[in-house]
Amino acid sequence: MKFKEYLRPASIDEALAGKSLHADSAFLAGGTYILSDPGLSARRARATAEGGREVVAIDISRIVPRTVERRGRELFVGAGATFQDLLDAQAVITSVVDAAKSMANRNIRNRATVGGNIAARKSCASLIPILLVLGSRVEIAARPGEGLVSEPLSVWLDRPKGLIVDVIIPLETGRRSAFRRWGRTACDISILTAAVSYRLEGGAMRELRIAAGGLGPRARLFPEIERLFEGKPLPRRADAEAAIAPLLSPVDDLRGSAAFKRLRGAGLIADALAGAVEEP
Amino acid sequence: MTVTLELNGRRISADVSPSDTLKTTLKHLGVISVRDGCDGEGSCGLCAVILDGKLVNSCLVPAPQADGARVITLEHFSKDRKLGIVQRALVDASCVQCGYCTPAVVLAIHDLLERTKDPSADEVRDALSGTMCRCTGYEQFFAAVRIAAKRIADPDYTERLAPEFRPELRHVGKDREKIDAAALARGEKAFVEDRVERDACHLKMLGSPYAHAWIKSIDVELARAAPGVVAVLTYENCPDLVYTTAGQGFPEPSPHDQRMFSRKLRHVGDRVCAVLAESPEEAEAALALVKVEYEPLAPVLSIAEAKAEGAPVIHSGEVRYVVGEPPEGSSTKGDGRDDPIIYQFPLHADPHRNLAASAAAGIGDVEKGFAEADVVIERTYRGNRVQSTPLEPHVVYARIDGGRLILHASTQVPWHVRRVVSRVLGIAENKVRVVKERVGGGFGAKQDIVVEDVAGYLAWTTGRPVYFRYSREEEFIASRTRHAMEITVKLGAKRDGRLTAILMRLDADTGPYGQHCLTVPMNAISKSLPLLLCDNARFEVKSYYTNLSPAGAYQGYGAPKGSFALQTALAELASELGIDQLEMIEKNRVRSGARIEILRSLGEGREGQAVTLGECGLGEMIARGKKAFRWNEPKPESGDPDWKIGRGAVIIQQGSGLPGLDAANAEARLLADGTVILLSGGADLGTGLDTVTAKAVAETLGLDMEDVAVLSGDTDVTPFDKGAYASSGTFFSGNAALLAAQDLRRKIIAIASSVLGEPESNLSIVHRGLVKGRHGEISLAKLGHMATQGEGHGELSGQGSFKTDHAAFPYGAHFVEVAVNERTGEVKVRRYHAYQDCGTPINPALAKGQIFGGCLKAIGHSLYEELVYDEEGRCLNPRFLDYKVPSIYEVPEDFVVELVPVADEVGPFGGKSVSEISVNGAAPAIAIAIHDAVGAWCREWPFTPERVLRAMGRL
Ligand SMILES: Cc1cc2nc3c(=O)[nH]c(=O)nc-3n(C[C@@H](O)[C@@H](O)[C@H](O)COP(=O)(O)OP(=O)(O)OC[C@H]3O[C@@H](n4cnc5c(N)ncnc54)[C@H](O)[C@@H]3O)c2cc1C
Ligand code: FES
Ligand code: FES
Repeated sequence: MKFKEYLRPASIDEALAGKSLHADSAFLAGGTYILSDPGLSARRARATAEGGREVVAIDISRIVPRTVERRGRELFVGAGATFQDLLDAQAVITSVVDAAKSMANRNIRNRATVGGNIAARKSCASLIPILLVLGSRVEIAARPGEGLVSEPLSVWLDRPKGLIVDVIIPLETGRRSAFRRWGRTACDISILTAAVSYRLEGGAMRELRIAAGGLGPRARLFPEIERLFEGKPLPRRADAEAAIAPLLSPVDDLRGSAAFKRLRGAGLIADALAGAVEEP
Repeated sequence: MTVTLELNGRRISADVSPSDTLKTTLKHLGVISVRDGCDGEGSCGLCAVILDGKLVNSCLVPAPQADGARVITLEHFSKDRKLGIVQRALVDASCVQCGYCTPAVVLAIHDLLERTKDPSADEVRDALSGTMCRCTGYEQFFAAVRIAAKRIADPDYTERLAPEFRPELRHVGKDREKIDAAALARGEKAFVEDRVERDACHLKMLGSPYAHAWIKSIDVELARAAPGVVAVLTYENCPDLVYTTAGQGFPEPSPHDQRMFSRKLRHVGDRVCAVLAESPEEAEAALALVKVEYEPLAPVLSIAEAKAEGAPVIHSGEVRYVVGEPPEGSSTKGDGRDDPIIYQFPLHADPHRNLAASAAAGIGDVEKGFAEADVVIERTYRGNRVQSTPLEPHVVYARIDGGRLILHASTQVPWHVRRVVSRVLGIAENKVRVVKERVGGGFGAKQDIVVEDVAGYLAWTTGRPVYFRYSREEEFIASRTRHAMEITVKLGAKRDGRLTAILMRLDADTGPYGQHCLTVPMNAISKSLPLLLCDNARFEVKSYYTNLSPAGAYQGYGAPKGSFALQTALAELASELGIDQLEMIEKNRVRSGARIEILRSLGEGREGQAVTLGECGLGEMIARGKKAFRWNEPKPESGDPDWKIGRGAVIIQQGSGLPGLDAANAEARLLADGTVILLSGGADLGTGLDTVTAKAVAETLGLDMEDVAVLSGDTDVTPFDKGAYASSGTFFSGNAALLAAQDLRRKIIAIASSVLGEPESNLSIVHRGLVKGRHGEISLAKLGHMATQGEGHGELSGQGSFKTDHAAFPYGAHFVEVAVNERTGEVKVRRYHAYQDCGTPINPALAKGQIFGGCLKAIGHSLYEELVYDEEGRCLNPRFLDYKVPSIYEVPEDFVVELVPVADEVGPFGGKSVSEISVNGAAPAIAIAIHDAVGAWCREWPFTPERVLRAMGRL
């Protein structure tokens, strides 16, 4: 994306004001998504089609918090925290660490932010599935002067608005969780992701949540799969795979055929179900 | 807007635009160490800097965001001529090959050592995970980090990274610093981009959106009138002649079938129009104003389509032959519209049927052989297009100086560039100078004249300096790729495994133009068949035009694909016979003293001859691999029921240059202080060739390495050399340097004899630079000085010219252990051992680095890399985000290179080639190991999880 103007607001309210003032504007955090330049032909096509449309960048990197801390049974993650911040913080549970680690490589993790990852709403977003299954909420600033409002991440993803300031991850006692991904190489973008969480009560999975990415336009919860297993004992992996696969409808693309993604996606979910652990 | 930052400890203000990135800003500030391998996609890490203590890609940092930040670049560690600890460790561990990635690697390791004093292997992987290197295979980075970490505590710490060879020699067989490594590690100006002056104009190319089309009309008036535009070039005003871009010796075994610009477009990205303008932005803006009307044609997108009856004809011009007659039945009459196709000599072609070249020959009688066999199998293997992705793409800086054209080039073939460019421009060769700068990765792709013709022409016609650098996308779609091939192998054998007949039928896809169209596929045969001794062997090679990206040379040439087909087929046959695959190899392989009859039919441009091999190291290499892998014991367990372990082993070979065809020259000059300047024609691509030639001189003249300076690959200054291809560097250019040094030694002895009054037979040169007789002695410095004096004997310089009829074969055995996930089809290479004979290893650790790099590239091709096209012939993944080259995480945990030298009688100090051969092993070895693990044969590479699952019948 090209910038015609660059704003460095001093406060969240100022950032929001800038956003409403400039119709053609974008928040800028780590910049790894906004700046990553598409290939030459895409660049040229864009230059010709849009006459090189440019936006006003609203740099929020200095005003959005980047602390990562435990507050009781909740993990507060500033939207400005980078993936590396998340990995370096002691407070983070394994399933979230696994998800954060799956972000590209160190150079990118040093810049890419949690808020940017959510707001880019990519299907293969490293963090979104695990945040969803842990029941995370986002605190957002929507209008200047109105303070923060909090809403479930799943709601925000359906109707994004405002500026994400914090992400709150509940760490419920007894809840197990896991994240799995597949990429072509170790540092590849995640082609397919899966995250699950549930409580194991009397041998049965309760409050089961399953989210996955790479299987449609956006990473999302899959209630249709949750229903298959809710209240049931942990299935055998092969059975889970066989039951899940028909419910997935990925598309063919250069990163894999639909058939492969279905098989692999089901496998990741099955693996996550089998591998979920609880952490203190 | 103004940003102020602390750059390497100095406060600096810069005026930036809102859209500038930190990378462009640093470039404007004159920081040269910040490189670019991916056009700012964020995936190569070569633009890395340390920003407020964190390693980040500066192409992804908006310049305004860096306001007030502390920025550290490589320059911070290069404040004086001394190297910092990390830089020194990288040099010592042979990690500086082309050096294009080195600045980023230095920063990444510094960043790591700031965080941890004694990093684990996993921490090293994490630290370098974002830094791409295409040369080294990353393995030696682990040693570099270890050395750097130790030296922080103990500055004198050293370790030996490779065994030593040839104890009787001073330098040869010992590790010496690569002579350009320190400069590259310091980030000195070295590459073409570093030579570009402020007044340079920028060339941008409009590529065809269609795989196959005519230009109906092209209107460049608006573009020509656009601000900053200096020149616009299309098929209407470019030179009217056809040539081949293949950087091969003249007359080339490649058809002259390409005009600088043609009305007929033959692949997506084919040249439509070039704009030269004062700035890149103005050039881009003008390109957007070019109006082209196309007449799209049906594209030919596979070998099958190319050979189909009634296929669209890609080259429909008149076919001419400089020497010889058209093959019988071939069509030569042009359509009156398309460019002519000129063959220097017949290649059994029929271009109007899309057949660019073909060949067939053999020994014995294969039909008889198959009739005698107890078992016969026939299998087809496919290899798709891969690209070598030199991190510095094709680039040239052309300027006029003193009425001559100077090309600062990143090339493997300075003399071929000079020849072709002067011919295309219609000027004498003495009007053109090609200066090979340091090359940021060549790998074969830079054996072709991809950018120099058009940049040279525009510089010559406008008089302006011209900078032309490919984008990463152009590098993928419009430079050179490895030919796609389909190889059918038919093998017959007796029950005991002895082969009775081999038939290889190879179809290659040479893309839109015929550079290397015959030699690459022939190389697939000539570097695979002679590994097996069989009285009845035959091959049939056909090379077809298609409308996919141009194919050309790439490290290994055709050999990796031939090796994949033949070695895998041999293992398939072994499995059919119930014989261990290594036993099968053992029964049939070439060995010491064997007579290799098949070479009679593999002449490489001249009459072939059978060769009786001297000593062959394969036995020893196989024995070492068997021991290391406990071949005769049960396989190890993976500890996870999903993951199955498998092993595979192959034997491989290559050549060492083109005997009878190519030549190399060098000149060694003695200076007045007893040091030597070597003028070598050889083109060092980061492979260490200049170090090899320097060693030849230092060894011969009793000097230290620092007593020899090497100037190489400059067509004005250094004598002719065929260039760096066909594994010729050490063998040809190295021998030329050695001959030059010996010639100089002879002259020195002759003069010393008269000065000392002792017969020549009494004299010898000893370390350091001393001619010793029975009675007297005289230093080279003295002799050098005398040469400059009035009563002197004239300048002492030695000439070396090397050519040979002798073929030197390096051999190798590669062993691999993989884990294959039965559920997911994923393949992990756990162990990779390369046992290789490069003759005397001139510089062992550097030789190992070449092999590590080749092996990892080949692992990449085998598992991840492939250019994918849609049904219109557009490449879908011309970027690193979707063309996956291995990162440091893909390096096998147990990655071993062992040198098993068998000295060659003609090679310099017994040396042979080393690097190319190492890409020949991975694909077949991994395919065999996958079969060993899960019982499925993968016959198409890359072996992606999807293909593995399909082979297993799970998908
Ligand atoms: C080489 C490479 C590899 C990558 N690999 C991965 C991968 O493996 N997994 C993955 O998930 N992603 C990957 N990405 C994409 C990665 O850029 C994003 O996922 C990243 O997290 C974006 O964060 P950022 O801070 O850089 O966002 P930016 O680029 O600054 O912004 C991203 C988007 O979010 C908006 N935004 C940013 N912050 C906020 C906020 N607080 N509130 C509201 N809107 C906001 C911006 O307006 C913009 O639309 C990769 C990118 C590159 C270049
Ligand atoms: S140029 Fe910045 S990451 Fe490649
Ligand atoms: S040495 Fe790393 S890219 Fe060449």
